Amino acid sequence: MARKDTIDALRRRKVGAKTAALLVDAGYTMASLKKAKLKDLEKVVTQEDAIRALKRLGIKVEVPPPKKAPSKKKAPVKKKTPAKKAPKKPAAKKALKKAAKKPAKKAARKKPKVRPTIPSKVPEPSAWEKRVMRILQSKKRELPSSLIQNLAARAQKLKLKKPDLEKVVDYLWDQYGANLVDPNESVGIVSAQSIGEPGTQMTMRTFHYAGVAEMNVTLGLPRLIEIVDARRVPSTPVMEVFVSDGADDLDRMRKHATEIEMTHLEDIADTEADFLNNRVVVYPNVAKMRSRGVTWKDLDHTLSKMRREKVKRVEGDKKRKMEAYVLDLDQVSYKRLQKQLETVKTSKIKGIDGVHRAIIRRRGDEYVIYTEGSNLAAALELPYVDPTRTNSNNITEIYEVLGVEAARNAIVREATSTLAEQGLTVDIRHIMLVSDMMTNAGDVKAIGRHGISGRKSSVLARAAFEITSHHLLKAAVTGEVDYLDGVAENVIVGQPVTLGTGAVNLVYRTSAKEG
Amino acid sequence: MLRGKGGGRIRDFTRFERARIIGARALQIAMGAPVILAIPEDLVDPVDIAELEFEKKLIPITVRREV
Repeated sequence: MARKDTIDALRRRKVGAKTAALLVDAGYTMASLKKAKLKDLEKVVTQEDAIRALKRLGIKVEVPPPKKAPSKKKAPVKKKTPAKKAPKKPAAKKALKKAAKKPAKKAARKKPKVRPTIPSKVPEPSAWEKRVMRILQSKKRELPSSLIQNLAARAQKLKLKKPDLEKVVDYLWDQYGANLVDPNESVGIVSAQSIGEPGTQMTMRTFHYAGVAEMNVTLGLPRLIEIVDARRVPSTPVMEVFVSDGADDLDRMRKHATEIEMTHLEDIADTEADFLNNRVVVYPNVAKMRSRGVTWKDLDHTLSKMRREKVKRVEGDKKRKMEAYVLDLDQVSYKRLQKQLETVKTSKIKGIDGVHRAIIRRRGDEYVIYTEGSNLAAALELPYVDPTRTNSNNITEIYEVLGVEAARNAIVREATSTLAEQGLTVDIRHIMLVSDMMTNAGDVKAIGRHGISGRKSSVLARAAFEITSHHLLKAAVTGEVDYLDGVAENVIVGQPVTLGTGAVNLVYRTSAKEG
Repeated sequence: MLRGKGGGRIRDFTRFERARIIGARALQIAMGAPVILAIPEDLVDPVDIAELEFEKKLIPITVRREV
């Protein structure tokens, strides 16, 4: 399996099939290839292929000059690539090659002992962060890393001396402790109120975006509702596409934008149904084609796919001779001709599915492509796109493409920015609680009848929320048991709720003075 | 671990526990239970007395915490 996967991965990066197979059989994995030296690869495949493969993988290769003084150039290369385990491999490879094919494969599968370096998501702490951590450690204390980072950044600005820094750390420690939530605090209700109150001040309907004036984006209360309801597709899906290099080059960004934007045939050509000759005729508009970055080749490609008819260029308009694509129908039928015209019109020439518009906006010292309509999976696959920053406002899509954790973060980000847009600040922890509740089961659930509230384990709690009789009846029929663990159940029954003072169990303490 | 203001000092009880303990003790005092410590003449409110007792850690009540 692993072998096939690696080959597939290499093929996707446009490494030749043969080269890929040879490399993988020699025990290389994607991780080890990225570290591997040209010299080692040359033992498995030809130098040319090795260079090409490495380039495709995005590794800078210093091509040794042909024959003359190769030792001089190779030495620095060696130092630059920190491959520690590479030297071990060639021997193994040679042995493998000599061995019979089947055992060799088996051995190859076992051989790669190059431990994949697990990429750390946490950046190495800075010098100042380490200083703060050392102070904390000396007192056997711990603080969240976000606080440490924040403090370190500020301390660095002020160039705090050690005793001062210690004081600040102590103070931070105190404040942190004082602001921790007590056990049994009803955080959920506090969150609900903290989000709900500013919600009353939100605009009922807003349709425009601060950054991009010509784009419509749902904001305000409708957007917040959308997030909390975990809609599959937001009413205005939007992507922010970042480009990894050349983001300050407007021309290049324009090119990228035209590649992302979905272009239909009708955007670049006039189409008409020629009833007389029972055919569909397409007259491409060269100016429009140029502005959309469509080449004749693209057109040839798409239109040849359309239907079995041969595509030929024929004179079209009244007097002028124009290049046109013609699609002859084999049957004489007006209905089919009309239908055919529609399919031809809406056939996609290029771009990403679902992206109706792409706009370039300057942000800081780079350009960013904003898209109307979103297709994260396709956008992330483009080679020039920076996958670490590109994002979408479609939470379900983020969940599908990047996973729950990403979805959780997306909910937090979207909700915070929606509120911030209206000049409202809600503590991020309230939103994080909501987001956690929505995602803790491993997928994105809505809040409300179809989501969290509708799936509570307690019958009484569900009945208290909505469609009371339905829940009670169903519970009676199936013989459900309510353990009265939650709040709503206990309110109904008339018991103290399991929150705050109600959750405290008092016991007699025999010896006073001790804790 | 409960921490409060002032030197990251460890607190014994959450504010809910404190309220329950003082409340329970105040009820006892209100119903005529003997007061554990010498109190000033003008201190008559059972809740105030209970609070004083609590501050001095004299109340023979504690909490059982469930995880």
